Amino acid sequence: MSAVRRTGLIIALEIWLPVLLVAIWWFASESVNSVYFPSLRKIMTAFVENWLDPMSLLDNLGPSLQVILVGYGTALLVGIVAGTLLGLVTPLERAVRPIVEAARAVPGVALLPLFIVLFGIDQEMRILLVAYGAAWPVLLNTLDGVRAVEPVLLDVGRVFRVGRVRRLFRVILPSAGPQIFAGARISLAITLIIMVVAETVGASGGVGYFLMTAKSEFRISDMWSAIVALGLLGYLLNILFRIAERYVLRWHRLQQSRLGGAS
Amino acid sequence: MTPTSSDSTSTPVALEARGLGHSYGPREVLGRIDFAVRRGEFVCIVGPSGVGKTTLLRCLAGLQRSTKGELLVLGERVTAPQPGVAVVFQDYSRSLMPWSSVLHNVTLPLRANGVSRSEADRRAREALTQVGLAAAVVHQYPWQLSGGMQQRVAIARALAYNPTVLLMDEPFASVDAQTRADLEDLVLRLQHSLHLTVLLVTHDIDEAVYLSDRVVALSGSPATVADIVDVPLGAERDQIETKGTHEFAAIRAEVHGLVRHAATSGSGSGSGAEA
Amino acid sequence: MTIQTEPSARADEAPDAASTPRRLGRLSWLLIQTGTVLLAGGVWWFASTLFPPSTLPPPAEVIARLGELAITGGFWVAIAITLGTFALGLAICIVVGIPLGLAIGANPIGAGSTRLLFDFLRTIPPIAILPLLLLVFGAKFEMVLVLAVSGAIWPILIQSIYAARQGEALLAEMSRSYRIPRAWYIRHIFVPGAIPFVMTGVRLGTTICLLLTVSGELLGGAPGVGFEIANAQAFYDNTRMYAYVLVAAVLGLIVNGGFWAAQRRLLRWHPSVRREQHS
Repeated sequence: MSAVRRTGLIIALEIWLPVLLVAIWWFASESVNSVYFPSLRKIMTAFVENWLDPMSLLDNLGPSLQVILVGYGTALLVGIVAGTLLGLVTPLERAVRPIVEAARAVPGVALLPLFIVLFGIDQEMRILLVAYGAAWPVLLNTLDGVRAVEPVLLDVGRVFRVGRVRRLFRVILPSAGPQIFAGARISLAITLIIMVVAETVGASGGVGYFLMTAKSEFRISDMWSAIVALGLLGYLLNILFRIAERYVLRWHRLQQSRLGGAS
Repeated sequence: MTPTSSDSTSTPVALEARGLGHSYGPREVLGRIDFAVRRGEFVCIVGPSGVGKTTLLRCLAGLQRSTKGELLVLGERVTAPQPGVAVVFQDYSRSLMPWSSVLHNVTLPLRANGVSRSEADRRAREALTQVGLAAAVVHQYPWQLSGGMQQRVAIARALAYNPTVLLMDEPFASVDAQTRADLEDLVLRLQHSLHLTVLLVTHDIDEAVYLSDRVVALSGSPATVADIVDVPLGAERDQIETKGTHEFAAIRAEVHGLVRHAATSGSGSGSGAEA
Repeated sequence: MTIQTEPSARADEAPDAASTPRRLGRLSWLLIQTGTVLLAGGVWWFASTLFPPSTLPPPAEVIARLGELAITGGFWVAIAITLGTFALGLAICIVVGIPLGLAIGANPIGAGSTRLLFDFLRTIPPIAILPLLLLVFGAKFEMVLVLAVSGAIWPILIQSIYAARQGEALLAEMSRSYRIPRAWYIRHIFVPGAIPFVMTGVRLGTTICLLLTVSGELLGGAPGVGFEIANAQAFYDNTRMYAYVLVAAVLGLIVNGGFWAAQRRLLRWHPSVRREQHS
């Protein structure tokens, strides 16, 4: 009984402010007559039209999802592989350090014109740009995580003559896991930014394209509906990410909560 | 033969527990605890881990309100940390501020309680000298020192606070044996020269007997005072000689019996109560 | 290089770690690193022979153009605007985000009330509001500033909320038992203890702030290095475009270097920095 009440209280605590703000938005936008801030009701109507209808959803979201899935997937793969390599082969890491430092320092979006020149304005360019820009946080975090593996664990592996491959997958990568996930989370945020930017050039569909076209055609409610859609997309992707993280890093979460509970 | 017990009637009580009890929710950790420590006395509370020693010390320090009974420190009921009471925690690496120099670690409580900068500085340096730390470490960070030296800093912080009562929670549990012996002798020396009242919590029976004028043995779950044992070993103590005497062995055996009884009847899950 | 995962508890262990033999000296490494940079330049040069020169100009040409640009006033103005916007944006995020985050985090009701809201707001790609900002502010510096702040504040704010709950519990106890007043506790114990966690947020905020500053200029057409890149591309002047991309890279390096220098100063005492000095 009291547990139910406590859960209810927690939910109430977490939800009152968002509900209040949405309510304020609803009534304020209803009464204020600004061109740039249409009423929330209109935005919702536009949202239903553009983002809940299956056909328009396919046009507006399909290309974006492709860029996210392929681009982000590539970034994760390349980031983890290269990060592990550089983390394990210290001399190599030291030799290429200036290049890594310079390359990761470039704001990914600044390379958009360059990627257009090199790869054209098609979907491949967008995927490549996302993959490039989003790979760095994963790579650097993997590098740090791999280097910070508890040396005793490595010694244990060596003493018990665990093979190299198994040591990599059973000791090194799991132990670097929390760091890798932290990097992947940053990469996800960067993926969304670069995706939207890249879709404003030469695309014929996708959230970024829709957003910029709506703006230039002065369809303000549509533009707002795209902002809402991007917010929801970001939120949903984050939830998916969290589920994956919870699953992969079970041990870490349990250990953390145990440490937290004991102190 | 036992100067402490003949003084006992005339010396005022420094701290006293009357029917003290504590529960965490439905779980009762401390039953009825009664004991008193007189001014200038060195008393150790000994018991197996998980018996609630730390809870007792936290109540004495005013860090936690007991659920039953009352505590008097220097004649006042404890409801919050009292002036004149200093605490040395077990984990020196966590109780010292890693971002501050040794000197600043010692002066912070003084400055925060309104002591002028020059006076705080003087008292801190004096305390650091008393615990045997060279002037050279004053501007170092605590983590640049060995574990034993860090605990000396924590002791100096307590001394500079000018306490009447010094509460120590397993202060030597995290250092090696040699350092531990040195620190024990240091605390004994300081207690005599500064006329401190010391209450020290430990699970180590040898340590308790070696240091104390009296040992309070806790036992059972919820914990109660099994017995209070007088330690008539005199004021001058030596790690090898004192521990070699028959009296020492006899007292140790007695306390051991009390605590062993506690260990067999006490519960095994200690993480909640001791944390 | 040895990696010490545990900060050494004893001072006398430190020299051991520092004196771990290194097979190569600092100078040799510098030479090797220069070699790799030159090698990368060589790869660029080789690639430029495969593409038409207008697509991928050789490095020497880009460097030469960079030199020509460097004597024009507009070049430096663009850099100053971008760096200025970035710095102002980051400063706003720090001044607002850290105190607000620490205050919210220190209060369970505050933390609970804002969790869902901030969780949602921070996942919105900040670039989504660019069109709105363009309509409201126009292609101006203010637009870029608001964009940068709206993205970079979240990691700083959220990390600060988290940081407020990571303080050492034993230090809070120590502070209570020595009757240290609240103001002293906040200034000398709470805030220094939170800084390492806050810095993680600031590092992220730094990256995102620069990314969004350049994005706003590039997409929104507000003056700055981002605009120069887009502009050069619009005129099919690829050499100029590459020159400005290099400038963006250098800005990134400067900003990163600035962050690490600040971190080193602020966290001299922290295990991560101590370790770095040993290795």
